Amino acid sequence: MNNKLKSHLDNIFSPYTDLNNVKELKEELYSDLLERFDELKAAGMDDSTAFEQTINSIGEIDQTLQEIANLSRPKDKTLLTNFSAFDLKKSDLAGVMAHNGEFNASNLRDADFLGADLTGSSFKASDARGANFAGANLTRCVFKASDAKDANFKGANLTGCTFKVSDARNGNFDGANLTDCSFDTLDLTGASFNRAILVRTGFTKVAMKDAKFSDIALTDVNLIMSDIRKATFERCSFTGVDFKYSDLAGMSLEGQTFIGVKFDGAGLKDVSFRSATLRNVSFRSLFSVKNRCYKAIKTLCFDGAKIDKLTYALLKSYNAVLDNVRLLDKV
Amino acid sequence: MNINSDLIRGHIDTVILNLLADGDKYGYQISKIISSQTAGEYEINEATLYSSLKRLERDKAITSYWGDETQGGRRKYYKITEDGRKVLSQNKLDWEFAKKIISKLI
Repeated sequence: MNNKLKSHLDNIFSPYTDLNNVKELKEELYSDLLERFDELKAAGMDDSTAFEQTINSIGEIDQTLQEIANLSRPKDKTLLTNFSAFDLKKSDLAGVMAHNGEFNASNLRDADFLGADLTGSSFKASDARGANFAGANLTRCVFKASDAKDANFKGANLTGCTFKVSDARNGNFDGANLTDCSFDTLDLTGASFNRAILVRTGFTKVAMKDAKFSDIALTDVNLIMSDIRKATFERCSFTGVDFKYSDLAGMSLEGQTFIGVKFDGAGLKDVSFRSATLRNVSFRSLFSVKNRCYKAIKTLCFDGAKIDKLTYALLKSYNAVLDNVRLLDKV
Repeated sequence: MNINSDLIRGHIDTVILNLLADGDKYGYQISKIISSQTAGEYEINEATLYSSLKRLERDKAITSYWGDETQGGRRKYYKITEDGRKVLSQNKLDWEFAKKIISKLI
């Protein structure tokens, strides 16, 4: 059980391993949790319930860690701002402040920007493979023609950021703020977006094989002209999301909520909306290849779905299979 | 937790200073006292607890030192400073004042 607790903490603390005061907090937390666990056990609780309750007592620790990580670094540590064509491979740049920094054509392989403030910086044509941007402020940053494979953006602020014609395979965007961020002509294969903030985020012409989106409220997000087929969406809600011209063939969108979503001209063959909730969802085909769209609509699964009258009528007119669908009342 | 925890969370620094004014304590000890003194009606989670402790430490209202436990994990004890005591008595006065005003208004 000690090991299980340890590995849970290792996981939570993984972006912050280098910081001494965070390390100390981890040790404190570990002895606290161990004591709590032992007490719960002594009160007659079984191992797994006691473990779960112990873990739940931690609460939302990410923000606390971020605060503590920030405390440990002097805020006024301003760097030079032009790093273009520098070799910063494996450099420790945790907590630095470099507003509008230029990292164009720099070598940033495995560099550590943990919690750094890089607002407005440019990373054009840089090699940022394996770089760590966890908890960093990357507001309005630009990654263009850069290689950011395996980069870590966990909990980073990427508001208004631009990623264009870049390689972001296996990128970790868990818990990152991607408000108004734009991903254009990008490879996001294997990227992870667990609990990320996706508001007005744009994904255009993006490859998303094995990308994972979970526990996200997608709001006014565009997923346009992208190959989404092998991506997974779990426990997400989609409000005002536009899937125009994207390929979703074979996807499972089961049990999720779609409000004001547009699938116009999207590839929808064999998509499952089992037990999903759909309100004001549009399935219009924008091309003249209407027959193909009609055919695809028939392969959709709406088993156990809840659908509003308007969407229902629309789907019915396309001859969708709507047995076992429940109609939603008016809002 | 069945009471509005945000209201309480706004006073958590004062609560912790008040507990430390009675003697040095480690993290989990503080959370146990909070839940026992409120008969389990309020429970502080580790995130809230430590974000408050670290804030108080930064502001020099408390200091910390490692205990010498041999078994289990090491424990870090927190101690209120003179500055912390001043903050605490000011916060208590502020609270009494706010309580008086609020209860007249709602």
